Amino acid sequence: MDTPELNDYRAHLLDALDDQPRRAAEERPGFLQVLVNHERVGTLDCSQAEPAFACTTKDRSIQHLEIRSESGVLLGGCVAPEAGQKSLSLPVGNGSLILNVQNHFDGGSLQLRYDVAPGWWSHVVSAIGFPTGASSTAAPKVPVWSMATAFAQVVLAVGVVALLAERVPNWLGSEDRAHQVEEELAARQSTQDQIDQVHRQLAQLVEAQSAAMAVSRAEQDRIAQLNTLVDTVAHTQQKLSSQVVAVQEDLKTVKTDVAQEVQGGMRVAVSAIEADRDMVRQDLQSIKSVNETLIKQVALLESRNRELHARLALTSLEVAKANAAAPKPTVVAKNDPPKDTPIATAVPVSDAIREADRQAFMFWVAFQDGTTEKSIEELVQELNGIKKGPMKSGWYSVEVNLPHPEPPDRFLESVKRAKIVKSVVTSKAMPPAQ
Amino acid sequence: MTSKMPDGKAMRDGQIFSARLNNVVTTEREFDELVTKSLPELLDRATSQTKRFLRETNQWGDDITHEKLALRWGYELVERFVVFGRTEVPCRPFFLLDSLIAKSFSQPDPLCYHKELLTPVGRFLDGLASRAVVSRDALIALFYHFYGFSQAHVVKLLGFGQAESQRVYKNFERWRQSGWQRTMNETGLSGSEIEVLEQELRTRPDHLNNEVDRLMPVLQSHYRKSEPEHYPCLSEQKWGQLFHDDYGHDYRVWHLAFCRDCFLEVADRRQAEVSNGSKPQVNLHIHPLKKGGVLALFSGDRGGRQHGHTRAQRLSRTSA
Repeated sequence: MDTPELNDYRAHLLDALDDQPRRAAEERPGFLQVLVNHERVGTLDCSQAEPAFACTTKDRSIQHLEIRSESGVLLGGCVAPEAGQKSLSLPVGNGSLILNVQNHFDGGSLQLRYDVAPGWWSHVVSAIGFPTGASSTAAPKVPVWSMATAFAQVVLAVGVVALLAERVPNWLGSEDRAHQVEEELAARQSTQDQIDQVHRQLAQLVEAQSAAMAVSRAEQDRIAQLNTLVDTVAHTQQKLSSQVVAVQEDLKTVKTDVAQEVQGGMRVAVSAIEADRDMVRQDLQSIKSVNETLIKQVALLESRNRELHARLALTSLEVAKANAAAPKPTVVAKNDPPKDTPIATAVPVSDAIREADRQAFMFWVAFQDGTTEKSIEELVQELNGIKKGPMKSGWYSVEVNLPHPEPPDRFLESVKRAKIVKSVVTSKAMPPAQ
Repeated sequence: MTSKMPDGKAMRDGQIFSARLNNVVTTEREFDELVTKSLPELLDRATSQTKRFLRETNQWGDDITHEKLALRWGYELVERFVVFGRTEVPCRPFFLLDSLIAKSFSQPDPLCYHKELLTPVGRFLDGLASRAVVSRDALIALFYHFYGFSQAHVVKLLGFGQAESQRVYKNFERWRQSGWQRTMNETGLSGSEIEVLEQELRTRPDHLNNEVDRLMPVLQSHYRKSEPEHYPCLSEQKWGQLFHDDYGHDYRVWHLAFCRDCFLEVADRRQAEVSNGSKPQVNLHIHPLKKGGVLALFSGDRGGRQHGHTRAQRLSRTSA
C-alpha cells in the first residue's frame, strides 16, 4: 500500500530517527528513567551527589535496558545476554553513565552509576600539577608546561594586578561616592520608615494580644462553668443510676410477693374444687343406690301386678264357670222379674272390669316430612288407635285405648321411637301451633 | 535523505547500503555513519518484520491503519537499534536488527493490538498511553487529556509539595511546546484526523467520552503491565494511609495515571482538596492546555456538552 498519507507518515518517522542523536545530545542529565525489558523500574537523579541506582529482577533476566530522559528521549541502553555480565559506559550530557548488568537464567541485577565530568578548575589544577580529590589515587602527572612558561605566566599575572590597581580608584570616583551617600541616606530613611512601621505593627500586635488574652480568659471562665455543669450532670446521673437500682430491687420483691399470692390462691381453689368433686361423687353414689332400690321396687311392683292379673284372670274364669253351671231361667224368668241380680249382672261385671282396665287416651302426633298417608294409617292401626278428625297444621289427633297398667308416658315414648314420627304432644285443648 | 532523492539514485543507494548492512561493522563511528545513511532500509526491514508478525498472529488487515501501525512499531524498534547497536560493535547491522526484533516479539503480548484501538480516538489514546510509559511529561499530561485536570489540580490530587509541583509545571510546559505534537506525529495521527476528533468532541462530547471510558480499561491494562510488580492497585484504606503518611509520590503519579478505577477512587476520596464537590469523570481533551487558557473542572455535564464558545462560560482560569 502506497498512499501520500502513508508516505508522509514514513517521512515523519525517518525525520524523527534522523533527529534522535541531536535530541539525545541536547538533553541535560537530570532525572533519568531506567526501563528494564520495557518496564519502568525507577529513576536516577543525576543532580545528587554520587548518583547511583540498583535493581534486581527475579523471574526474567535483564535483556533490554533503556535509559530515557524525563521527556522520553532514548539516551542509551543495551541488549544484555540471557546469562552473563555486561558492562558499559554511556556518554550522557557531560558525564558518563556506568552500567553493569549481571544476568542469570532466572533473573538479573543492574547497577547504574553516573559519573559527572570534572569541571574546568580541576583540569587547570591537574594541568598545573596539584593533586585533586578525584586524581589523588591516580598516578602523579607530569606538568605539561615548562618552568619558563610558568615564569611568563607569573609576569603576566603581576602586570594584570598592576593595571587593576591603576583602574580601580577611577572606578570608585567622587560621583560614585555622592551617589552612594544619597543611596545610603535613602536607605536609612526607608529603614527608619520600616522601623516605624514595625513599631506600629508591634503596637497593633500588643492590642491584638491583649484582646486575645481577654477572649482566652472568657473562654477559660466558660470552660470552668462547663466543668461545674458537667460535674452536676455526673452527680445527677449517679443519683439516677442508684434510684434505678433501688426501683429494680423493689420490682423484684413485688414480683416474688405476687407470685407467692397467686400460688396460694391457686392451691385454695384447687382444694375447694377437689372437695366439690368429692361431694358430687358422693351424691352420685347415693343417687345410684336410690335408683337401684327404685328399680327393685318397680320390679317387685311389676311382679305383684302380674300376680294380680293372674288372680283377676282366675277370678273371671271362676265367675264364668259358675255362670255356666247355674240353670237358665226360662218362663219364670220371663214372668218373674229376676230376683238374683248378682247372677244376672255377672257377665256385665267382667266386661265392665275389662272396660275399666282400658282407658281412652288422646294425643297429637306430627310426622316427618314426606311421610305417606299409608305409613300413617299403618302406624295408627299398629297402635290400635283411631284418627280423630282431619290434620290441622301438620298435627293428627289420635285416640287410643290404653290398658290400665301402661302409663301414657311410656306409651308416648314408644310412639316417639317410630321412625316416621316427628313429635308427639298430649295437650287436649288445642293442637300446638307449628 | 534517501526518500527525498530521485527514485533511481535512491534505489542504487539502497542496494549499496543493504549490502553494507549485511557486512561486519567494526567501529562505533562506522556504525553511526552507516546507520544514519540507511535509516529507510532499516525502517522498511523493521516494518516488514512487524507486518509478518501481525499476519502470523492473525492481527493484520490490508488497510492504511494497519500499515501505520506497522510503521510505528518498526520505528520504535529502529530507534532502539540505533542506540543499542553502538554497544554491540563489531556486528552485522541487519543481523543485529533482526535479533532485536525477534527478542522484542518473543516477549509475551509485545504489542498493544486491539481492533477498537484502530479508530482515530483509539489511536489517539494509544499514542498518549504508549508515550506516557516512557515520558513523564506525557504521564503527567494524561491527567489533563483523560480527565481535564490542570497542573494545579494534579498537584492537589497527588498531594505534591512545592518542589514536585514545579517539576510538574515544567513537564506541562515541555509537553505543551513539543511533546504533544511529536507524539501525534509518531502515532501517525494526521492534522485532518485530529480536526475530526475535535469536531466530534464539540458536537457529540458525550458519545466520545463514553467511547474513551470504554477503551480506557483495554488500553490501561496493557500499558500498566510495564509498572513494577510492587505497584498493585491499593485498597481505599491503603490509599488513605499513603497520603496521610506522605510517601510513594512516584507511585501516585504512575499508578493513578494508568488506572482509571484507582484514580476515580482517590479523586473521590480527596474531593475536598481537589474539587468543588462534584465527582470526577472521563473528560477527553485532544490538544494540550494552552498557557493561560481556561479549563473545565469536574463539570457534572462534562465540558463538551455546551457547544462552541458557551463552553468557556462554565470554566475557571488556571495558572498552567
